[in-house]
Amino acid sequence: MTTLHLRANRVWAGPWTCLLLCALPFSAAAKPISYVGGTMVMVENDETGNTLNIDYTFSPRAAAALYVKHEIQGNVFTAVGPQINYLVKRWNMPDGQGNVFTMSGAGTAIENSGKSHFAAWTGVLADYETRRIFTSYELRLMYAQNIETSVWQRARVGFAPYLANYEDLNTWFMVQVDHHPDKTHATTVTPLVRLFYKTLLVEGGVSTRGTAMINLVKQF
Amino acid sequence: MRKLIILVSALTISSGASAETILTSVNGMVCAFCATGIEKSFKKQAAVDTVTVDLDKKLVTLNTKPDKTLDDAVIKKVIGDAGYAVVSIERK
Repeated sequence: MTTLHLRANRVWAGPWTCLLLCALPFSAAAKPISYVGGTMVMVENDETGNTLNIDYTFSPRAAAALYVKHEIQGNVFTAVGPQINYLVKRWNMPDGQGNVFTMSGAGTAIENSGKSHFAAWTGVLADYETRRIFTSYELRLMYAQNIETSVWQRARVGFAPYLANYEDLNTWFMVQVDHHPDKTHATTVTPLVRLFYKTLLVEGGVSTRGTAMINLVKQF
Repeated sequence: MRKLIILVSALTISSGASAETILTSVNGMVCAFCATGIEKSFKKQAAVDTVTVDLDKKLVTLNTKPDKTLDDAVIKKVIGDAGYAVVSIERK
């Protein structure tokens, strides 16, 4: 319990976390493209850092986004910049949906000292879900000049304990595995619960090392 | 006066009867959170009165306002823009 408390504090403390949480409920645990004309605000707080994504979907295949990530547990810096999310392929099936997205951006990496460097990032996200199961895999490349060039990956599997309809509270049990060689702990496993109702999605979990995870997504 | 009442009643009944119920069968609609885009987008259409999304039946039901209708092409575009595929459209 003490370990959990201390590690949770490490994630929650700090101005970036406060800023990200203060952005709620206007606040990436969801697909990076929503519906044409839709805006989505996503906040992730986990062992790898604190992320804010604001996406505006302007075509069925593309969204313009602002990406902010405060990296912790390794090189500490904040990457900020515009990002384009692109739907490469979608499979709409009677009982399932599969997607492949790319997310690419460029901007600035700011060290704690305030020194700025050029940064660029890209990633690919593939997912497949039915009303009962969920799987996803994400591969990301981050280039932060003079700070870090890293490749990290994230995978998720989950299941819904009951079939919820559109007007119901939807509940999912998931496990997220992060592999980030540049972090203090390269591999992190986090069991989590996802809840969503209408346009609000909340995820909470605790990693096997006791670090708290809280993600929020709101669609407008 | 009686004729006027009959005329107004007939017009009202005629107007009310022209509202349409459109049943659209959709593929890929498995996530309620993602499907909110369908509801939000249809509610922006002036002709639409109510929108109901049913994941069990894979169905989007639209009720139009009196004397209003929605073309198949518009329905397919709205659902396509929300990320899904229309299988069939039935009108009642």
